Amino acid sequence: MIKKISALLLAGAMMLSLVACGSQGSGSASSDPAGSGAVAGLTEAFAEAPILVTSGGQSADYQMVGTLMGKVGMDYEIKNLATSADLGSAKTLIIVVGGSSKGLGAAGIDADGELARLEELINGAKSAGLSIIAMHTGGEARRGELSDKFITPIFVKADYAIVVSSGDEDGLMAGICSGAGIPMDSIGSISNVATVLPAAFK
Amino acid sequence: MTKKNYISAAICLAVSVAIMISTSINFLAAREVPMPKEGPSVVEVKMLSDWFDGLKDTNGDTPVYVLKGEKEGGSALVLGGTHANEPSGYMSAFTFIETAVVEAGTIYVIPYTNHSAMTHNDPGEGNLQYFTLQTKSGERTFRFGSRATNPIDQWPDPDVYVHYPSNQQLSGSETRNINRGYPGRADGNLTERMAYGVAELIRAENVGITFDLHEASPEYPVIHATVAHQDAMDIASEGCINLLLSGIEMSLEVSPTNFHGLTHRELGDYTDTMAILMETANASQGRLRGATTREQVLGGIDRFYVINEGLDMLYVPYDETGHPIEERCGRHLQGVYEYIAAYNNANPDDAILYSGVPGYAELFLNADPAALGGAHLGSFLM
Repeated sequence: MIKKISALLLAGAMMLSLVACGSQGSGSASSDPAGSGAVAGLTEAFAEAPILVTSGGQSADYQMVGTLMGKVGMDYEIKNLATSADLGSAKTLIIVVGGSSKGLGAAGIDADGELARLEELINGAKSAGLSIIAMHTGGEARRGELSDKFITPIFVKADYAIVVSSGDEDGLMAGICSGAGIPMDSIGSISNVATVLPAAFK
Repeated sequence: MTKKNYISAAICLAVSVAIMISTSINFLAAREVPMPKEGPSVVEVKMLSDWFDGLKDTNGDTPVYVLKGEKEGGSALVLGGTHANEPSGYMSAFTFIETAVVEAGTIYVIPYTNHSAMTHNDPGEGNLQYFTLQTKSGERTFRFGSRATNPIDQWPDPDVYVHYPSNQQLSGSETRNINRGYPGRADGNLTERMAYGVAELIRAENVGITFDLHEASPEYPVIHATVAHQDAMDIASEGCINLLLSGIEMSLEVSPTNFHGLTHRELGDYTDTMAILMETANASQGRLRGATTREQVLGGIDRFYVINEGLDMLYVPYDETGHPIEERCGRHLQGVYEYIAAYNNANPDDAILYSGVPGYAELFLNADPAALGGAHLGSFLM
């Protein structure tokens, strides 16, 4: 009888500990990368020209963003392998994030080299007081092991983010932005960049 | 030998001869490939050997349809059938040839870029040899060929294929893949000579923009995608955005500089053309598919791909409606239109203008769903 009571108590204690583990996890920020989902959009223009556009991962998305900017009359410099030496008089750095093995191959750089370049560029931009806009415009196709390497290091340093919503269904980017207090606007398609991005510029 | 043995031997011999005759007829029939009918702007049907006589009297020589406008303008080239087992490539070329009304410039269309590959198929894949479509002129038969040059025309494969001129090494079977053979060479094997012929055409005719139309398996990452040479990226970016605006999901990739032999790399490097390749999704290219049937090849329907969609294994959405040939050809033909429009913006003095070719909306979005899978595409063909 004592054995049975002990076994029941032990089983009960184990269940309680499991429940405790579960409830602790559900309250943590890490299990809810989107936070409460209450990431704020941009409320007022903050960025200034001149603008330097670069890639974060060497997908061609940065070129498409450049083409859209040209369509709406925004002047910009574009350089896929920009370093801090290329910042010149720029006041805003736009990094279009998206990993592409073809693009990395075309640029003659590997993922680690690309990360190192971006770190050096972002540090240079921060030191020079540039605004940084992070963009992820490739949608679901630009998510995965390669692209995800570039998202966190770039987005955490951004002053503003624009994200095509199909690429953030897991809330990774919304979570980073809400956690760091970075305004982020979700758009339905890369073509919406033409309306959202100009609104960020004074 | 007894009388009984003679009879048995005679029966076996007769059966063998009957099988030989039957299979020989089937084998030889594969050398006859159906050609497009000449649409309203076709002014001439030349042969690739007209630009490179090293292909003359070979199975690598292939018809080149010349579509010319009344006004002067630039030149474009559309390559269908680079891989003869990717039907939306050559069926887009057929559709273009039979429907385009060219107003300015010249458009060269090669329906079977690897003509030899269209004269056989891959029996080990259980592939179709033929499919039929009901067209304006009645039922027409189309081929389903192979990815590679017919081994009757080029054999044996080396253990290792060394690409010229880069010396890149690939599997020996890639020796017969024309999209690993560019820029080709005049004294190379047949596949290299075919590739050289295409490059010679581009150089001789100052072709400003070249399209290579493909299909790929749904589990291949570069799908619903355009790959462009770096010199063509401005045009490709503008065209890709316009495709997105018209509701076509399309990603854009720049051609890697370290992967040789492909149109988007070598034609950009060895000619002055803007080289663009497009990929669309077809289950019949994939390794996760079920039996290769007409419904799969033309309808893009495969229940195993629906299962794999649920397992998050694919790079394109896949449901019971598949990816019909109308969607795949519509993507290609809309892509050709948008990239040429972007080319025209960059080269207003060499504009290439045409109309009449059905695009994504006409072929797919506005179609009766019951007619998808070949019937609707056939309604545009002569």
